[in-house]
Amino acid sequence: MAVSRVETVGSVFSRTRGLIRAGVLKEKPLWLDIYKAFPPLREPVFQRARLRYGKAKAEIQDIFYHEDRIRVKFYSAYGSGQKPFDLFNPNFQSTCQRFVEKYIELQELGETDEEKLFVDAGKALLAEGVILRRRGKAKTVSWKYEHTSLKPQTQLEENQPQQVLQEQRSETHEEQLKGLSPP
Amino acid sequence: MRRAGGQAAGGGGELSSAGSARTDRLPTARSWSGAPDRASAALLSVWTLPPPPGAWPKSLWLDFLRKATPEASQLSNRTFGSAPAPTVSKLEDRSDFNDEIINEPLKHSDFFNVKELFSVTSLFNARVHLGHKAGCRHRFMEPYIFGNRLGQDIIDLEQTAAHLQLALNFMAHVAYRKGIILFVSRNRQFTHLIENTARDCGEYAHTRYFKGGLFTNASLLFGPGVRLPDLIIFLHTLNNIFEPHVAVRDAAKMNIPTVGVVDTNCNPCLITYPIPGNDDSPPSVHLFCSLFQTTITRAKEKRRRVETLYRLQGLQAAKR
Repeated sequence: MAVSRVETVGSVFSRTRGLIRAGVLKEKPLWLDIYKAFPPLREPVFQRARLRYGKAKAEIQDIFYHEDRIRVKFYSAYGSGQKPFDLFNPNFQSTCQRFVEKYIELQELGETDEEKLFVDAGKALLAEGVILRRRGKAKTVSWKYEHTSLKPQTQLEENQPQQVLQEQRSETHEEQLKGLSPP
Repeated sequence: MRRAGGQAAGGGGELSSAGSARTDRLPTARSWSGAPDRASAALLSVWTLPPPPGAWPKSLWLDFLRKATPEASQLSNRTFGSAPAPTVSKLEDRSDFNDEIINEPLKHSDFFNVKELFSVTSLFNARVHLGHKAGCRHRFMEPYIFGNRLGQDIIDLEQTAAHLQLALNFMAHVAYRKGIILFVSRNRQFTHLIENTARDCGEYAHTRYFKGGLFTNASLLFGPGVRLPDLIIFLHTLNNIFEPHVAVRDAAKMNIPTVGVVDTNCNPCLITYPIPGNDDSPPSVHLFCSLFQTTITRAKEKRRRVETLYRLQGLQAAKR
């Protein structure tokens, strides 16, 4: 059976059709009629994968929801949820999700002040029995961190990142001395 | 062997069909049963004869082709050997048979009603929309990606549904025309599932190491006049080192159409009917396997019914 083995030239269909027209391939293969009747959405032609240069980027959009803003606030204040996520249950609602729903309910009732909504949603969850533990420092401190230079509460935060940085530098130095590759 | 006496041991790889009009080779007299003209008998005899000296040992052959047991093939040889050749070949040579039975399904847009087998919701529940991280993305998969959620690519299920419908339809038509279908995958997690699916359809699977030249050098590896698959279905387009499977390129070389589940890190260029979707999660692969199995079984069942109906009509006409 005559076959054209050049997979880089055209599609499977175009090559087989060409062979039949030329009279080289005597018998029609099984799938040719089916392909003619139901062609694919894109002709399967070989394409070389070229790199993108300069500032050209893929046009894929990020997926963000309006609820993500509320989620950001929740996670920065309370850390990762107290209740572990049960992924086996398709209708599972995490603490964060319940918080977001409460927040949206209160927003639809007519409230506009974000902080008030946040506090009210927290209270509503507490009323239902969900205990929310604040993560480390209060969120109000982290917001004012940029504006103030020296505050007793913020000083703790300043020291900790510096210490962390110093620890990391000493770690990498040690590892280089030992000849290990950095993680 | 494929439809031998109910013991459908779905062996992998290609068979020599001596009686089919597609090959040049004449039916041989090398059959233990003593019925030289029947295609299937000659077919079976090739595998049950002892291998010529210098060829692979029999265990390697069997491993390679994924047959059930040597005993099963011998049993099926026995069942085929006694029966004389049925009138199937004569039926297929008639031209009105061709028009009525083979070309008729092509006139309908969805002859086998594959649309009812799945929906966008069912694809979502099976986690078909989940892709890999943005860094793994292949450039040619970008049209099929809906967006990127916190670093993970999400595949557009509307497009997937359209592609899946085309692919299932094509598969059903090939099965209806008694084409040979080969399932290929190199993901070890789903080897067992895919082999079982192929066996239950009555088709073939090759989920082990793909020897070079299997399609391109088939006449040397299997013998002269081998019939290659008419359709190859890839459950996983990549092999274990995240490179495109050799069979994708080889199928394009041998002008064999392919259907394949392409994930966000795969190259969909050479696949005739790509299905953009998740190929890593178990629910997703289970869904695809069940869909493929249902379509192929449906198409074959339809073919059997149509042929019986045709034969009955022929008998009625002859009586009158």
